[in-house]
Amino acid sequence: MTPAWLIRTSLALAIIASGWLVFKLVTYLSLNRVRKIAHRLENYQPGKAAIVYFTTPDCLACKAAQHPALVRLQSLLGDQLQVIEINAYEDPDMAKDWGVLSVPTTFILDSKGAPRQVNYGVTPAEKLYDQLRQTQPQAI
Amino acid sequence: MSETQTKVDHSVIRTNQATIIILLLIGFILNFPWLVTLTALVMIIGTVIKRPGFAFIYTSWLKPRNWVKPDVLQDNPEPHRFAQGFGAVVLTISTIALITGAGVLGWALTWLVIALASLNLFIGFCAGCAVYYWLNRLKVPGFGKSAPVGTFPGMRPKASSS
Repeated sequence: MTPAWLIRTSLALAIIASGWLVFKLVTYLSLNRVRKIAHRLENYQPGKAAIVYFTTPDCLACKAAQHPALVRLQSLLGDQLQVIEINAYEDPDMAKDWGVLSVPTTFILDSKGAPRQVNYGVTPAEKLYDQLRQTQPQAI
Repeated sequence: MSETQTKVDHSVIRTNQATIIILLLIGFILNFPWLVTLTALVMIIGTVIKRPGFAFIYTSWLKPRNWVKPDVLQDNPEPHRFAQGFGAVVLTISTIALITGAGVLGWALTWLVIALASLNLFIGFCAGCAVYYWLNRLKVPGFGKSAPVGTFPGMRPKASSS
C-alpha cells in the first residue's frame, strides 16, 4: 500500500505544477495580447531581434543591474540586437497596453516584431541571451 | 497618494513568506495540522507586534551571515501587516476546519495561503496589500495608506530607498 506521505507529496507536486501551468498560461495570454499592439512600437526596425525594456528614472534595480546587463548584451551582439527603452512614467499608456505592472520588465521580440518572451524583474544578460538565441537561432 | 512612506526591508517579508510556504507544505505532506496552527499563531503574534512573524529567522540567522541581503524600499508597512493578518485569519479557519474533521476545507484554505504567499514571493504581487489599497480607495476607516507613487496597488514598489 502506498504510504500517505507519498500520496500527499504527489498531490502537492500536482498542485504546484498546476500553479506553474496557470502562470505560463497567463504569460502566454499576456504575450498574445501584446502581439496585437506590438506593431505600433516606434523606433522598431524590422528584421532584427529586439528587447523592449520598460523602466523608470527612480528604479535603482534598473540602473544597478538591468541597464548594465543590456549594455553588455548590446556590445556583444552589436547590430544584431536593438534595445528599445521605454520610460513607464513618460509613456504610461504604453506600459498599460503592454501589461507592465512593475519595472524592470523586458520583452523579447523576434525579427518580425512579435513578442516571444516576457521577464518580470531584473533578468541577467545570460538569460536574455538564451532567450534571444531561442528566438533567432540562425542570427544569434 | 500616501506621502508618509517609510523604509521597508522586503527581504524580511520574503523570508517570512518563504518560511510560511515551507512550513505549510511540510504540514500538508506529513499531515501535521499542528504545523498550520503554529504558523497561524506566529503570524497572529507578528501582526500584533507589527512585524513579519518569522522576521527573527532573517534578523538572527540570514542577515548576520550575509546569506540574504537587505532589499530596502520606500513602502507602506501597514498593507503587509494587513496581508499577514488576513493570512493568519485564513489559517485559523483552516485549523478549526482540520480539528473539526473538515479536512478538505482545512487543507484547501492552507493551499490558498500557500498560493498567495507564492504569488508575493515569486511574482512580487501582494494580494492582501491590493485588498488594503482597494479598501483605502473606498475610504474605509483604518486603511489610510495609498499605494506608493508609480506602483500598481499590491505590486512590489519600483524604487529602492537610498
